[in-house]
Amino acid sequence: MMRAERLRITGGTVYDPANGVASVVGDVCIEDGKVVTELPTGAPRLDASGMIVMPGGVDIHSHIAGSSVNHGRQLQPEEHAVDPVPAPRLDDPDGEGGQPTRSGTGGTIPSTFTTGYRYAGLGYTTAMEAAVAPLFARHAHAELDDTPIIDAGLFALLGNDEYLFRQIAAGEGARARDYAAWVLRAAGAYAIKVVNPGGVELWKRGAPPRNVTGLDDPVGSTAVTPRRILETLTNAGNELGLPHPVHIHCNALGQPGNAATTLETMQTLAGRRAHFTHLQFHSYGGGRDKGWQSGAKDVIEYVNAHPEVSVDVGQVMFGPATTLTADAPVGYLLHASSGRKWVNVDVELETGCGIVPYVYKEKAAVAALQWAVGLELFLLATDPWRVVLSTDHPNGGSFLSYPELIRLLMDRAYRDEQIKRVNAKLLKGSALADGLAREYTLNEIAIITRAGPARLLGLTEKGHLGPGADADVTIYAQGGDAATMFATPRYVLKGGTLVVEEGQLRRAPAGRRLAVRPEYDDAVLPDLKRYFDQYASVSFENYPCAGSV
Amino acid sequence: MSAEQVVEHVTCLGCGCACDDIAPLVRQNRIVEARNACPLGRAWFGDGTVPQEARVGAHTVSLEAALTHAATILTQARRPLVYLAAELSCETQRAAVGIADRLRAVLDSATSEIAAAVLAAQRRGRVAATLGELRQRADLVVFWGVDPAERYPRYTSRYAVAPGGLQAPIRTVVAVDVGGHRGPGDADARVIISADVEVDALGVMRAIARGHALPDVPALRPAVELARRMMQARYVALVHDAEPDGTPADPDRAEGLIALAQALNGPTRCALSTLRAGGNRSGADAVVTWQTGFPCAVDFGRGYPSYRPHDGAAALVARREIDATLVIGLPGSVPESVARGLASVATVAIGPFASAAAFEPAVAVDTGVAGIHEGGMAFRMDDVPLPLRPSVAGPPAAAVVVGELATRLVSP
Repeated sequence: MMRAERLRITGGTVYDPANGVASVVGDVCIEDGKVVTELPTGAPRLDASGMIVMPGGVDIHSHIAGSSVNHGRQLQPEEHAVDPVPAPRLDDPDGEGGQPTRSGTGGTIPSTFTTGYRYAGLGYTTAMEAAVAPLFARHAHAELDDTPIIDAGLFALLGNDEYLFRQIAAGEGARARDYAAWVLRAAGAYAIKVVNPGGVELWKRGAPPRNVTGLDDPVGSTAVTPRRILETLTNAGNELGLPHPVHIHCNALGQPGNAATTLETMQTLAGRRAHFTHLQFHSYGGGRDKGWQSGAKDVIEYVNAHPEVSVDVGQVMFGPATTLTADAPVGYLLHASSGRKWVNVDVELETGCGIVPYVYKEKAAVAALQWAVGLELFLLATDPWRVVLSTDHPNGGSFLSYPELIRLLMDRAYRDEQIKRVNAKLLKGSALADGLAREYTLNEIAIITRAGPARLLGLTEKGHLGPGADADVTIYAQGGDAATMFATPRYVLKGGTLVVEEGQLRRAPAGRRLAVRPEYDDAVLPDLKRYFDQYASVSFENYPCAGSV
Repeated sequence: MSAEQVVEHVTCLGCGCACDDIAPLVRQNRIVEARNACPLGRAWFGDGTVPQEARVGAHTVSLEAALTHAATILTQARRPLVYLAAELSCETQRAAVGIADRLRAVLDSATSEIAAAVLAAQRRGRVAATLGELRQRADLVVFWGVDPAERYPRYTSRYAVAPGGLQAPIRTVVAVDVGGHRGPGDADARVIISADVEVDALGVMRAIARGHALPDVPALRPAVELARRMMQARYVALVHDAEPDGTPADPDRAEGLIALAQALNGPTRCALSTLRAGGNRSGADAVVTWQTGFPCAVDFGRGYPSYRPHDGAAALVARREIDATLVIGLPGSVPESVARGLASVATVAIGPFASAAAFEPAVAVDTGVAGIHEGGMAFRMDDVPLPLRPSVAGPPAAAVVVGELATRLVSP
């Protein structure tokens, strides 16, 4: 069976939360890569009796392609040397998507082809590259072209860019919006990403304070503050009607006491759609002189009460990771405190990049706290549609650790065993230490790993199995623990093509690119061109990716 | 194209500056003038004339016949080498790595010529900035043993010195003369460091940046003073040449520069600007890294990428372990350490001027030059990706020829 024009998946137990289907035995019909309501009798069948059928996984926030990812790859030959990946043998190499498969290497930042194969092998069929400097977008697209199977989009970094600051200082909200729209098109991007607004610019300026300390710190001009940057870009995203609202990495990542900053940011944007990413890294209590503690409860209570807010958790998982962020001052602090090797790249007038390889150890007090804070956010969340799964791959851990994370959420006895293994020094008084009985259901897992992220991204043809949906389907054999089940899907279909069969990769078609093309007023262009001519080191005409503007 | 035409916003790959403001004036498919280009750029564009031949041995053949013969040589090889030379788009480099993977070949590129610097960066990391960032922010530019006027003519006028920066309207330029490697003649200040103490000087400067007190060594005083001066600046651009005179980089020097630049980010900000030659050499590192996990010297012999930075193409060719080679790119850019062994190996050359290769390939297919005859993407020395805009028509595109070859290779 290559790509079946038609296929009826029969007898599986279907979890399709977007359509209100939870644990219902039934058929899923596929025609020409889409889910349809019915097929003629005699259409080919795939027997899924006794198995779990879900939409393909959707990763709302991951770092898999582009300049900073590639610097992280190049930095760590040691992790690639111990995780070699021969080219998978397909059963039908000359069939659908008949490109020969490719070898590669794994580790926390796998090579591109291996990234595509491993995501598909995990039952994920869509992923968002969450941080691309528009200047480097062309590079990110080239890597995604070499990342097979998954459909992918990228988020364009804004919020530390000089042109935006000028519009904010001049009170030109409409022009800021037009500029954001133009950048999204120039970069071939899917959403606006804001990282440590204003803080990266101050790091690059060289003089103290080298970061912002609060939402009202001036960034060059007193008219430009993190608060104004956040408001401007949040409004731009909503006024442009983007399918995914502004995707915010708050100020003060990784600092004790930063829950206060996170809450203040949420309150600033109250009533406006906004997505807060890797919330775990922004939910610490305590303070600079008070040490670390969990701040998860306060933060998630705010999220629970405010339907305009959505988040992904950014769970920390024990083991190797690579911290890889546009939040360059954080990279420096990690390097200075750990002595580990460090990459920093300042990207002209736009953003930064900091990379430090890292290991989260169970016996390290702060790592254990981070792990606990993430679990608390999950377990105290009341609306799984707005609190979705991520590890901020590879920052909190590899996407390959998702199955283990799912088990921690679904299995209290297992979770309690793990809690006993970790350094409890900073866990006193935390909700997790006090005991959280909640166990996620399979339906809730289906929400936080596919239906929820797809809805938050505005991907109307992803994350569900109703008529018109992309035929991205993952089928799991039951038995064993949840981690085993989610790590090794029995079948995975991508756009109707059976890419994983009996747990083996069988086909590797190319994925599609997901991008938005918002409208903007052309009047912004002459001013932008003047700005480029004066300040940029590349021509205005060479900045947009081919055919994107 | 008979009428006169100016092609705008063309990226020049004559050196790693990759200036993208070139406007070639084209008449009858010949470049009459490469407007805005420096002398190096004008030489790189030439008039756009390149040979257009496909050859097997001394005989001119069809492209089909040449590629069929090439496929036979490569698939019959026990231990093939695929070498990525210069003047290729990233698109061609991507396809070429695919061929190496399929052939289970050894894959190498000019990046191995600066392996010492690559390995130092893999041990320590690095601090870098795009060239536009240096232009906007660097109030102190230190040229460490290099005058960019020679090999990177527009570096100072476009990036780090002449244009005023947003955060650095005025800047100071310091030339550091290291032995015979002299900094720019018109610098505001000059520091002289004897070549035999260069690595010590870098170490002492790093120690000072990290706040250590050191015993006074007269020979190192200029370095100590320079370190103090750098700490007083707000943003330092430390500029060095990764490929001086084609001599292999000294591993200790490469590591010393990285470590100094990193340490300066405690008291102030500093970025190390690494000068590299043209022809999209930086693109080869990036492509090989994203497809394999390693930047150069990759052995696919086991069916997956293994990293052999100390045992790359030059060593294998010298030991006669290689029995067939595919050189993709400009043959003249293949380093002598590799090229000298190729005459005795069955070699397929695909690229600009392949038919004129000094190592007399068994099969040669001429292609256009990326950026002159072919489009695609290339990397500036600071890893900024730029589009390539062809200005004249030429032979079959390298990306197309390499893709055609790939379809003729069956899995071993």
